[in-house]
Amino acid sequence: MIGSKSLVKRNKGAMAWFLQRLTAIYLFVFLIAHFVIMHFVGSGEVTYGTVAPRLSSPLWKAGDLLFLIFALYHGINGLWQVLEDYIRSRGLRLFLYSLLLTLAVILFTVGAVTIFSVKA
Amino acid sequence: MKRKFKIFRYDPEKDRKPYYKEYEIEIEDGWTVLDALNYIHWYVDGTLAYRRACRSEICGSCAMRINGKNRLACKTQIKTLGKGTIKIEPLPGLPIIKDMVVDMDPFFRNLEKVKPYFIKYSPLPEEEQLQTPEERDLINEAAMCILCGACTTSCPSFWANPDYLGPAALLKAYRFIFDSRDEGGKERLEIINDRNGLWRCHAIFNCTEACPKDINITYYIKKLQNLAVNNQF
Repeated sequence: MIGSKSLVKRNKGAMAWFLQRLTAIYLFVFLIAHFVIMHFVGSGEVTYGTVAPRLSSPLWKAGDLLFLIFALYHGINGLWQVLEDYIRSRGLRLFLYSLLLTLAVILFTVGAVTIFSVKA
Repeated sequence: MKRKFKIFRYDPEKDRKPYYKEYEIEIEDGWTVLDALNYIHWYVDGTLAYRRACRSEICGSCAMRINGKNRLACKTQIKTLGKGTIKIEPLPGLPIIKDMVVDMDPFFRNLEKVKPYFIKYSPLPEEEQLQTPEERDLINEAAMCILCGACTTSCPSFWANPDYLGPAALLKAYRFIFDSRDEGGKERLEIINDRNGLWRCHAIFNCTEACPKDINITYYIKKLQNLAVNNQF
């Protein structure tokens, strides 16, 4: 077509563009909610005693897990878009792409363990 | 009034490296940068090379970098450029042929890819095809493009990757895709829906700022991205 050097066949970029925006909306809403809940609702005191009960509720766990996935996607995809602009050698692209994916998996694991292990 | 010009000079056949040469000339009130270049070329230094034709901002030949911004030399009043030395350079991101003359081939090759002409599959009508004012409004601004290249050569995505179609080609695609009389929208969208097409635009608005015809190019690229996403899902 336009001489695309995409690593994944049929991956034309529309999906990545769309998901980048979708995740951005969630991150934005989540950030506002975080601010309101941490600083304006309740005592404003940040201790294990006040935070742990909230974080141990299944609804919060679901929201946090979604946040983890979306934030990772948003960040990694954004970085990949920039790298794709400037790095044109196929080998280096493949290396960096794998590096980013590995990083995402590690960060997801650490984050998921944290989310699931919180108990009140 | 005397004004100083610091002009980019490079002749690949003679010079090992590009350099800047300063010229100080007497300018008259109302002169544009093109007037000054003409004066230098005619009376001071005949070796200075640059493109020009219409001198009335419609041919798009004299796009160059003036004080760090892509503009048309014929549209830029010297008066608007402040008091200091005026720096004149070729458009960035394209191979230099000589001085301000750049090789526009990459630019026009990208333009060609989006099929910048009317496509009609149904039988041609006997008379001219009318549009409603609303239909015309959709493409009116986009159709003002004079293909000077100021936008595409101001785009960092294009500097980094000359395979990227660039704002001018995408704007041309918009101009035909959203034209009520054209029937090639689908194939054009298929062409630009590509990692080196639409999705290389990260909306930094350099193109819109550079456009000497004040076309809001980024806006039209976003319209195309919306169309492509809506078509996909």
